[in-house]
Amino acid sequence: MKRKQDVLQGTLALMVLKTLDVLGTLHGFGIARRIEQISGNLLAVNQGTLYPVLLKLEQEGAIASEWGSSENNRRARFYRLTREGRKRLQIETQDWEQTAAIVGRFFAVKTEDLS
Amino acid sequence: MKFLRRFLNRLFNSATGRANEERLSEEIAEHIALQTDENLRAGLSPVEAKRQAMLKFGGVEAMKLDYRTARGLPFIENLLGDLRNAVRTISRMPALAIVIIVSLAIGIGVNTTIFSWIQMILFQPMPAVNGAANFLMVEPSSETGGYPGASWLEYRDLQTRLPALRDIVASQIVPFNVGVPGKIERTHGQLVSGNFFSALGLKPAIGRFIRPEEAERPGAEPVVVISYDYWQTRFRCAPEAVGQKLRINERDLIIIGVAPKEFQGTMVPLKFELWVPATMTPALLGGARDLEDRTSRRFSLIGMLKPGATRQQAQNEFRTAMAQLARDYPDASAGISGEILSFWEAPRGPQRLLISGLAILQGVMLLLLLAVCGNTANLMLARGSTRQREMAVRVALGAGRWRIVSLVLSENMLLALLGAGLGAAFAVWGTTALRIAPMIAAFPIFFPTKVDEFTLAFAILLGIGCGFLFSAAPAVQLARMDPQEGLRSGPNTSPRSRTRKVLMGVEVALASVVLIAAALFLQSFRSARQTAPRFRPEGVLLGAYDRSGRNPNDTSDREFAIRLLERLRSLPDVEAAAIATNVPLDLHGIPHRPFTVQGHVRTEPGQDRAVSNIVTPGYFKVMGIPVLEGSDFADMRDKATPPQAIVNEEFVRRYLNGADALGRSLQTRTQTFTIIGVVRNSVYDAFGEPAQPAVYFSYRDRPQDQGEIHLRTRSGNETALASEARANLRDLDPMLPLYDVRTLSQHIERNLYLRRIPARMFAVLGPLLLGLAAGGIYAVVSYAVARRTREIGVRLAFGATSNRVVLQIIRENLGAITWGTAIGWLLALVISLHAIPNGPVNPGVFLGVPTILLAVATLACWIPARRASRIDPMAALRHE
Repeated sequence: MKRKQDVLQGTLALMVLKTLDVLGTLHGFGIARRIEQISGNLLAVNQGTLYPVLLKLEQEGAIASEWGSSENNRRARFYRLTREGRKRLQIETQDWEQTAAIVGRFFAVKTEDLS
Repeated sequence: MKFLRRFLNRLFNSATGRANEERLSEEIAEHIALQTDENLRAGLSPVEAKRQAMLKFGGVEAMKLDYRTARGLPFIENLLGDLRNAVRTISRMPALAIVIIVSLAIGIGVNTTIFSWIQMILFQPMPAVNGAANFLMVEPSSETGGYPGASWLEYRDLQTRLPALRDIVASQIVPFNVGVPGKIERTHGQLVSGNFFSALGLKPAIGRFIRPEEAERPGAEPVVVISYDYWQTRFRCAPEAVGQKLRINERDLIIIGVAPKEFQGTMVPLKFELWVPATMTPALLGGARDLEDRTSRRFSLIGMLKPGATRQQAQNEFRTAMAQLARDYPDASAGISGEILSFWEAPRGPQRLLISGLAILQGVMLLLLLAVCGNTANLMLARGSTRQREMAVRVALGAGRWRIVSLVLSENMLLALLGAGLGAAFAVWGTTALRIAPMIAAFPIFFPTKVDEFTLAFAILLGIGCGFLFSAAPAVQLARMDPQEGLRSGPNTSPRSRTRKVLMGVEVALASVVLIAAALFLQSFRSARQTAPRFRPEGVLLGAYDRSGRNPNDTSDREFAIRLLERLRSLPDVEAAAIATNVPLDLHGIPHRPFTVQGHVRTEPGQDRAVSNIVTPGYFKVMGIPVLEGSDFADMRDKATPPQAIVNEEFVRRYLNGADALGRSLQTRTQTFTIIGVVRNSVYDAFGEPAQPAVYFSYRDRPQDQGEIHLRTRSGNETALASEARANLRDLDPMLPLYDVRTLSQHIERNLYLRRIPARMFAVLGPLLLGLAAGGIYAVVSYAVARRTREIGVRLAFGATSNRVVLQIIRENLGAITWGTAIGWLLALVISLHAIPNGPVNPGVFLGVPTILLAVATLACWIPARRASRIDPMAALRHE
């Protein structure tokens, strides 16, 4: 159970980074909506889980945040990717693609292929 | 890097507190507002739009918790919380807390005190010298297993022949007579090589140290370095002391500097006050030929390994060098090899003896601490059980098992550390008390023990160890508890705890080991006080003189002894007077010398050895040792009689199989003697020692330049003789002080000093431990009984007599206690047989201690059992 959460958290961080990379500066709700749009139902249940991830990324220096005003003129916290975050995104994208490729290949192997 | 940054960030957040919390609330509000707007646009009603938005967001509080966890350092925050809680809990049980803290403090304090001795000997053998433990002793060793010391020329040779060592330092112990005629004081010093202070890495308190070139030309540089203490007591720390002259052995030496505070020479615990270049030896010691004579082996050498060199390497080089020297100078060095030794293995001085004694003592005291821990664990366990409901509530509210364990752990750790703190304070007091205790033997002894960061760390480590030990059981018990069970009214569940009984057994076992050890120790100490030394110590005055600085030779030494004895014997209150080189029961021991005796062929390798002492006629009369066969030595002026020796009974038994000893010849390295008498055995090195063979030689045949005057009084008031003895020696030679004046009884007391310390420790700790164990058993039993109130009520209601109930409770608990005592008893027996092989087992101790322990334990069970049996069955059944 805990492991599954870890995986989700890890991928969530990557999704956040990618979202900010593509859309530039964005507030929490924007990030959540974007991820929801792309991932389908993955985050539909608990958008709140996003905020601890944002905090962790900020503490690690991958993203930075500041106050600004949102579309309907409310005070909102805007997040943007830092240089370090961009670097990290690059590395993690590569890692992810590599991992995905390997796992994919494993799934592609059928029993009869081995005989 | 990433981790570090995050950590610092979190630490900062932990400290800055709640500002961020608001930020989060704002963000959440904004998030939900935006989502609501979107839902409204999608056509939902305002109420439904808000509801959906909140649903989608998820549990706000759970998220906030997650957020908080990520933001700060939950570990530290929890710890602080636990600590606050621990302080509150402990302050709610002051009596129990005080018992636990004080008992731990005593255990830890005693252990720390002993450790401070061990660490002084092992790690800091020279106070004020950094890295002193890295110095090794470079000791020439003879075939017979003795360590004769090194000669000056040998030292000069070895300096260049041992590349694995740097800065080999030579020193020699010398007693100096300091002052002008009539006001002579005896002070101990070291004659040292020129590199002495630089190799030790010392900086002078003021002035300067001996320069290497000052120890090159014999007799050229009359300089002296004084100790800080000497500077303080004689010169009141005046800077003008440097440059002043000090009259030492009738030579004026110029004070050039003061050694740093606490430095007391290189032979701790011996304490020296003066350091003089070794090249002053002939000038100070009446033309001693130490500097050119290779047979005069009076120097001790120490050295430090060069970086990268190993001890084995140094050892090999040393052996090779000594073998070469043996070939070059067969007269002086034949058969002499060498060994590299650690400081604590020093062949001279009490280190070796102390370290083994201290190791045993430390072992026993650690057991005592373990017993205290067991006791504390039991008390905590009993208390922990009463807190089951509190813990159950915590678990029910969502506290994890680990949180419960850490809660219990932090409480106990706080107790343990408080105990360790108090224990360290005890240790400071204990070591200071030992420091100021007087220790005078043939040489001044001073133990520079202190509580430093090493010892402090040891105390804290012990505290933490204890904390973990006695937390384990209660923590596991509470963490394993089922909250539902715990929430239901407590007392009717799990009345019997296996853990508790096992703990009780272990505690009693440990206590019985320690108590037996303590009793054995006290017993041996008491019997030491009571056994007759087999000589008569009462009414004897001792005082030492030393003519080594007075240009002595055999004739003058003999003449001096004759004239001194004549004068002393003419004193009205003197019944008998004699001079001897050694006094029995000296802290430094009596020399054991090799010999061969006619009629005994040695089968195993090595040499026959016996305690040896050189005495004047009349010695046996003064000491009250009866001469069983033959006669006393011939008169000192007798020139005709060949050299004589007197042996003791044990000598005759061991080496001559009880055959007639008189008339046989006995040979030492240099002389041949005829045995003319047999005396009774007496005690030589220690009370309670097995009988030792002894040989006495006569001053007439082997005159010595130093001696201990023995005076037996008529009146029995020996101290009154001191001033007359002093005056007589001064009349004979105004340059000679009589030093170390004491009665024989005082001398013996000093020998017992090292034993008295542990004896006192045990005398206090033994009953204390017994009380603690009893208290622990009492607490456990009364707790267990309280939990079974209802059961007991039922029994009584069904007609059980109160006596039956009491018996049953005692029987249940006494099982574990008896097992514990039996195991402890066996353990103590094994240890005692191991420590003193073939020694007699003391039946009084081995029967008495378990009896007392069991009696006390039974009493500790009986009191709560009796109280329980007195309850009114109706009240008990209505209880809860």
